[in-house]
Amino acid sequence: MSADISDLSLVRRVQRGDKGAFDALVLKYQHKLVKLVMRYVRNPAEAEDIAQEAFIKAYRALPQFRGDSAFYTWLYRIAINTAKNAVVSRDRSPIEYDLDRNNTDESYDMQGRMKDPETPEGLVLTDEIRSTVNAAIDALPEDLRTAIVLRELEGLSYEEIAAAMDCPVGTVRSRIFRAREAIDRRLREVFEGGLGRVEELG
Amino acid sequence: MNEELDSQLSAMFDDELPAAECELLARRLSRDEQLKARWGRYAVIGATIRAERGVRLNAALASRVSAAISSEPALTAEPAPQPKKQWANRWWQPMASAAAVAGVAAVSILWMRSQAPEVTAQTQTVAPPLATVAAAGAGTPVAMQVVSTAEPDSYVVPKNAPRRLVVPSTELANYVVAHSEFSSPVTRRNLLSAFMASESGTTAGTSATGSEEPTEDVQDDAKNPQ
Repeated sequence: MSADISDLSLVRRVQRGDKGAFDALVLKYQHKLVKLVMRYVRNPAEAEDIAQEAFIKAYRALPQFRGDSAFYTWLYRIAINTAKNAVVSRDRSPIEYDLDRNNTDESYDMQGRMKDPETPEGLVLTDEIRSTVNAAIDALPEDLRTAIVLRELEGLSYEEIAAAMDCPVGTVRSRIFRAREAIDRRLREVFEGGLGRVEELG
Repeated sequence: MNEELDSQLSAMFDDELPAAECELLARRLSRDEQLKARWGRYAVIGATIRAERGVRLNAALASRVSAAISSEPALTAEPAPQPKKQWANRWWQPMASAAAVAGVAAVSILWMRSQAPEVTAQTQTVAPPLATVAAAGAGTPVAMQVVSTAEPDSYVVPKNAPRRLVVPSTELANYVVAHSEFSSPVTRRNLLSAFMASESGTTAGTSATGSEEPTEDVQDDAKNPQ
């Protein structure tokens, strides 16, 4: 199976004017992109801002994307350049913290986020998501847990997992799907229940 | 939700779904908000398993990007230039160059081959055509008869080209002398000198090549017939 085919099918849809397909790409790569940008800026909130800018730049540049490389490597390159430029411009014009300024100023919001990137509520939400997912993984049967960990943590393909677990590729696909379903069932409760306000944050 | 559809979504997330199914599911994914939310949670599961520290799993980054993109104009369906075409152009460029070089080389070889016989004939003036000596009869005085060889001994050896010697004809010399009264003495002297010089050069040249006089080897052969 050719690599990056699922990303490419979404990219082609975006290139034809389907903005919803770009949402799927953002959902898939947002965490990886923020983690990448955090190598240049330590602040999670600033990293998210840079990642957002990188996604918007990628969207605007998507008509020029020809598929010579994988979409995520192309996206990572944009994110790295955006992060480097942000670091350079920040060093040139450092933000002056003036506590006497009016709180309604937009720069004050940035200031506050820089000072306190991880709000207690945000930390609680992230921790709850992590604990829920980890608990769901622990509750998985051994074969399902092994399959999903080899896929997500080691990045192995289905064929490589099949060789490692000595089972057909179809079985691997089924095990990974069932593992995700079991975890998602509990995660959905967190998102739709007590933490339904997640989308309002940020 | 359809379990088969979710199974396909999981495989597509891992880039393990066949291309044809990817196309169909991508269309549905871009429109179905529930499916999109599930897709997003798959990403959260992966980030949690990888223990990506510092990454806020609850961040509404996707919502912010989506809001920003909604104000952007939709991309037009302008297909990007295919890399295959570029590759094809790059493939033909060296081929065209190679064809041009090969053409020049072929013309050069043909031209050289067409010139080769003339060059050989001109350079082979040293080798005289073999003369056939016919003896009139045994015991009788040797009568040498040099027969001009019209045909070469071998087809490998090209036939000698006819010599292009400027030999003034007797008629022309007589004509010059007869009309000398109409030319100045200096001109007449120069013309006659030129004729005499060319005649002496011709004689020396012919004796050197031996085209008219038999060589000593031939004379010996004629004296001692087998």
